[in-house]
Amino acid sequence: MPTLTADPCVSCAQHRAKSLVRLGISTDKWDYLIALAGNPNVGKSTVFNELTGLRQHTGNWPGKTVVRAEGAFVHEGKRAKVVDLPGTYSLLAGSADEEIARDFVLFGRPDVTVVVVDASRLERNLNLVLQILEITDRVVVFLNLVDEARRHGIAVDPVKLERELGVPVVQGIAREGVGIDDLLSAAHEVALRTDAVTAVRAEQYTAEVEAALDHLVPEIHNAFPDTPNARWVALRLLNADEAVEGAVHSGELGQLAHDESGALVEITAAEVRHRVLKKATSLRWGLPSNFQDVVTRRAYQVAEQISQRVQVRGLKKVGIAFDQKMDEWLTSRIFGFPLMLLILAVVFWITIEGANVPSSMLATLLIDNGHSALKGLAIGMGVPWWLDGLLLDGVYLATAWVVAVMLPPMAIFFPLFTLLEDFGYLPRVAFNLDSLFRKAGAHGKQALTMCMGFGCNAAGVVATRVIDSPRERLVAIITNNFSLCNGRWPTQILIATIFIGALAPSQLGGLVSAGAVVGIALLGIMMMFLSSWILSQTVLRGEATSFSLELPPYRPPRVWQTLYTSIIDRTLIVLWRAVIFAVPAGALIWLISNISLNDLSLAHHAVSWLDPVGLLLGMNGVILVAYVVAIPANEIVIPTVLMLTVLTGGFAMGEGSGVMFELDSVGATGDLLRAGGWTLLTGVNLMLFSLLHNPCSTTIYTIYKETRSTKWTAVATLMPLAVGLTVCFLVAQIWRLVAG
Amino acid sequence: MGLDTPKSMLGSRNEEPGGELRLGDIPLSQTVELVRIDLPSEGAEPLLERGVLPGCQICPVRSSPTGDPIVSVDGSLLALRRETADCLCVRLLSDAS
Ligand SMILES: Nc1nc2c(ncn2[C@@H]2O[C@H](COP(=O)(O)OP(=O)(O)OP(=O)(O)O)[C@@H](O)[C@H]2O)c(=O)[nH]1
Ligand SMILES: [Mg+2]
Repeated sequence: MPTLTADPCVSCAQHRAKSLVRLGISTDKWDYLIALAGNPNVGKSTVFNELTGLRQHTGNWPGKTVVRAEGAFVHEGKRAKVVDLPGTYSLLAGSADEEIARDFVLFGRPDVTVVVVDASRLERNLNLVLQILEITDRVVVFLNLVDEARRHGIAVDPVKLERELGVPVVQGIAREGVGIDDLLSAAHEVALRTDAVTAVRAEQYTAEVEAALDHLVPEIHNAFPDTPNARWVALRLLNADEAVEGAVHSGELGQLAHDESGALVEITAAEVRHRVLKKATSLRWGLPSNFQDVVTRRAYQVAEQISQRVQVRGLKKVGIAFDQKMDEWLTSRIFGFPLMLLILAVVFWITIEGANVPSSMLATLLIDNGHSALKGLAIGMGVPWWLDGLLLDGVYLATAWVVAVMLPPMAIFFPLFTLLEDFGYLPRVAFNLDSLFRKAGAHGKQALTMCMGFGCNAAGVVATRVIDSPRERLVAIITNNFSLCNGRWPTQILIATIFIGALAPSQLGGLVSAGAVVGIALLGIMMMFLSSWILSQTVLRGEATSFSLELPPYRPPRVWQTLYTSIIDRTLIVLWRAVIFAVPAGALIWLISNISLNDLSLAHHAVSWLDPVGLLLGMNGVILVAYVVAIPANEIVIPTVLMLTVLTGGFAMGEGSGVMFELDSVGATGDLLRAGGWTLLTGVNLMLFSLLHNPCSTTIYTIYKETRSTKWTAVATLMPLAVGLTVCFLVAQIWRLVAG
Repeated sequence: MGLDTPKSMLGSRNEEPGGELRLGDIPLSQTVELVRIDLPSEGAEPLLERGVLPGCQICPVRSSPTGDPIVSVDGSLLALRRETADCLCVRLLSDAS
């Protein structure tokens, strides 16, 4: 058995650099096309990143990748384009993400399909390999996660497996770059190979099925001349597969084969398409109704036999006890929920405590010193007051505030969250919450999309592709906004620290604020259950479908890599987005504060016009105006609130007339807000409203793209807003009743 | 895979002597062999794809905060719903050997 310790000479970066040039995403022209397919959570995206040098998100749970990613590299003078696909258990895809994988493998015409398989779960992974071998010989099997298999006491002989399958098998540990070179050469060879090989064929059909296929395949070729894998299509039609019938019926099948080139093909004439379907139906009558079952059962047997022949089981297990202990606690009947809350609270607590100091340092630097220095400079240069106001008091201040308020909590929260994700905790959360979701008539995987929503609701909406039932997917999309997203965390944390943490003795302030934020997040989860339940009882009536979720093994997170990717990819990207929206918002705020109508600025008019409504809702006019300004991005709510309070409240920043505020600490920000008339109720209701209002513009657009329906987009936009207005109104009325 | 026919393909429906054992009745950490999946094909398909095949060994390892079972099969952990577990007919390993 070949050893797994990498030959240091082969796996070092320098050696690879000779043959491999990573090209990132430049994919204008390529000599061959590589598809990366495989079961979920086997390391496809990790292999993709190794090959292309890109940083496609990886995560330790099935369903991390839901859209296709493309990249490129040069190997031995040939350009290769690589496509990373979502994971799929079989080519008979159920959910939207699996369909993407299936369509590409079948109709994307890859020159070589690299099937990544999990060495510790070989049998199940081989099912997909065998299905792909039914349609193409241009396959390389990458036997990944060999280290994990070893820990489980399993070893697989790649040489024997190669003999069994008839296609190249390369083993490795993608995460450490082991085996990538061999994979490269194997894929290269297969892609450029001209002669055919004999791969194993597990599916053997009876003569009568073959005869039916002989009739049907030419019809399909006739109707869709460019379609590869007409035999596969024919088999699906003989099985009355509704999705494939639909693709033939609509003519979409013809387009699938051209998605890659982007060319639009002429849709096959309707009567030709109907002839295919009619033919399939009539042929189906002549076949035994369970012909596919027999074949399928045999394919499963072949997978089982092969895996038994190539596997050595029962080696010494290492460190498995840890996994089991861990799971006993994290998904325990008694401790499961409390631990979940505790972990959440600890994450927030670290965020709140850790963000405090850098936030005030940034505020001192950018706002107090930076702003006055720039002001001084502008005055020295004789810049007209309106330009200096627009650029410095508007644009610069808004941007600086966004950075000071957003950057520190995000730079702490994201890496923590990503570490939990990489470790494998998210599916455990999904598992713990499943029965609640089921009672609400929703899909168990909605818990996963909820967790993604904690990062970004637009990402959460896209992640719903893992849900195969359209009804339940729609429920998940509409209710995703109740997951508090990263644009709103800083608002929650800041307001909780000012108004709630301040109520407690100072040593406990951080803990109390963290508790308050957890409370809001929990309220969001409860609202998600409630609204899912109401939707399932009314407009989206239906029962939850059955569900089985794979719990991935705990994988020790790669701490440095995670820190790097989450800071670079997530934090900075989100921050950048916030800044982009802050620039025009800052200009707008300054303009409405300085353009006067009847001696009062427009901002004053808007604020005082909305003030009665705001007070009714337990907030004020400033907050409502801020929410209108912040529709593009939730991130700018707090900066907008602060600026409007300063500009319309008769306060001045730094030196100057009126009250002086140095916003270099959370305490000072609190003083400003209190001077602007804020009370505990204002703070609480702002936190509630920040949780319960319309999604940001990006999310709304994503919802529209995913649902293609104005109606459901409107529901998803307005429903949370209505809930928020109602809740805030009720809280304000009750609060005032109780407080007298 | 392709279980589009209305009747279940997975094993015979004959009553076994001594009554039927369901996975839901098996105590924790007892390994049993799966005999049949009593689910329509849409329900059975995801299970088959995840390695829950007739003839495989399956073992309930834990139950969730809400009483649903986690089973270990083919080296991985699978969270099932209780109703699903009650549709899996199993037999004790000693019977088989
Ligand atoms: N121990 C170990 N972990 C690995 C290896 N390859 C990948 N991983 C980890 O496995 C997890 C899943 O990796 P991904 O690359 O996201 O898997 P994927 O196949 O793209 O998953 P989906 O997109 O959900 O289908 C990550 O936490 C990786 O760090 C390996 O060879 N050994
Ligand atoms: Mg992936």
